[in-house]
Amino acid sequence: MKIGFFVGCNTAFNRPDLEQAVRYALPALGVELDNLDGQSCCPSWGTLPSVDVAGWCAVGARNLALAEEKGLDIVTVCGSCYGSLAEAKYKLDHDPELKTRVNELLRNIGREYKGTSQVRLAHYYLDHELGPDRIREALKYKLDGFTIALQPGCHSLWPSKVYFDKEEDTFHPRVLKEMCEALGATVGYYTRLLDCCGMGAMRSADMEKSFHLVEKKLVSMKEEVNPDLLVTGCSSCLLQFDTAQKFLQKDKKIKFEIPVLHYMQLLALCLGADPEQVAGLAETNVRSFIDRVRKE
Amino acid sequence: MSEMQAVTGVVNLSAGDPALAGEIRELGGAELLECIQCAKCAAACPMVLAGFSFFNKKVIHAILLGLREELLDDSSIWACQSCNRCTEVCPREVNPFEVVQAMRRVAIREFALPTLSVEGLKSLYDTGHAVYLAGAGNTRAKVGLPEKPPSTVASKKALQELQTIIRNSALADLGIIPMGETGVSETCEV
Repeated sequence: MKIGFFVGCNTAFNRPDLEQAVRYALPALGVELDNLDGQSCCPSWGTLPSVDVAGWCAVGARNLALAEEKGLDIVTVCGSCYGSLAEAKYKLDHDPELKTRVNELLRNIGREYKGTSQVRLAHYYLDHELGPDRIREALKYKLDGFTIALQPGCHSLWPSKVYFDKEEDTFHPRVLKEMCEALGATVGYYTRLLDCCGMGAMRSADMEKSFHLVEKKLVSMKEEVNPDLLVTGCSSCLLQFDTAQKFLQKDKKIKFEIPVLHYMQLLALCLGADPEQVAGLAETNVRSFIDRVRKE
Repeated sequence: MSEMQAVTGVVNLSAGDPALAGEIRELGGAELLECIQCAKCAAACPMVLAGFSFFNKKVIHAILLGLREELLDDSSIWACQSCNRCTEVCPREVNPFEVVQAMRRVAIREFALPTLSVEGLKSLYDTGHAVYLAGAGNTRAKVGLPEKPPSTVASKKALQELQTIIRNSALADLGIIPMGETGVSETCEV
């Protein structure tokens, strides 16, 4: 098995430990990575998608073409990359006029969008191609006795029509839950499970309102699940939950801290990766969680 | 109550700009007129939960009334998370997210965009990444990775390809950012 790893801006520059986690976990499970050399920003929502549809889809199509030329699907750990690329692909595959325009833009650089590669989110790819059992068999460390709260992330779910890997019901998602259970953990439900974390455009536009959302979520999961760890399916959610808690503590909005990891970081750790390399940039105290897991 | 107070907040329907709806439909919000203002999109919207003054349903309503200035004066559309809950639940397949994006496209054509968006576009053009941290090489090395990811920041040819696309896109006609031959240098975190 081989895939094209689409790194994305935030993972490459803000949380390269997450990038390293992907580079550890997928090969450990027998999935070879291609670097998609020359990849760019997806592009993210506040840039070309806010200017015009053709420019958005042309930059997306160039990234998709890099994977098509190698006959590979694209795999990412960032919800925004996943959404932007999958929506661009959906538009291109359903609008022949747009596809023609975009391919005119790509002709200048000697590339063409065909529509042959799929866009996948890492844990959905693993669920679909390997399944929870194959992951369970490969683990060095298990999470028996640990409780996890989830942050699936908006873009892993909606709009469902543009995604190749489907949830049966996007308002009752199961994939991230089952992938965490495969590691041995207990996953708790909380009322605000599906709420948005407030990262991204909202945090750029109004940090106070953005933190209001993350506070509501944190309080809900603390009261209803009291987890040992929060696991996200998206790199933006990871950034928000990992960095916002110290501000909320300072403002006396919360009196607790929940350590946060992206699913691919947790998976890499359970497969035996070096914690400094795959989780070393966390601001929340993931180290004590990891130490407890490795002592069990 | 004085006469002035009595009309505060009242929308003058005949003062609206009837061309706005057409612009929105041209710029990606093709299904705008399907909206019946049922508010399922608003019930699902994180911007409502966070307390923004304009959100999907209200943006659509204001567009249909032609309230161009009111929409341009409010920056709420730039806080949309593109989460697409609205697209998922809309019973009329209006794709409210795409209408909000189209309103951003109208605003950009009137240069009514936040500084952070200008910086994001500039960073995308200059480096190939909307979010770029010039000092990330050290952090990457710390976790055992090469200083540069395998992207446009590591390949001049790839960056030139991206810049060629952008120079031939609608952004080039708007003159919002300078588009010369550039190298990768400054940090941009949006």
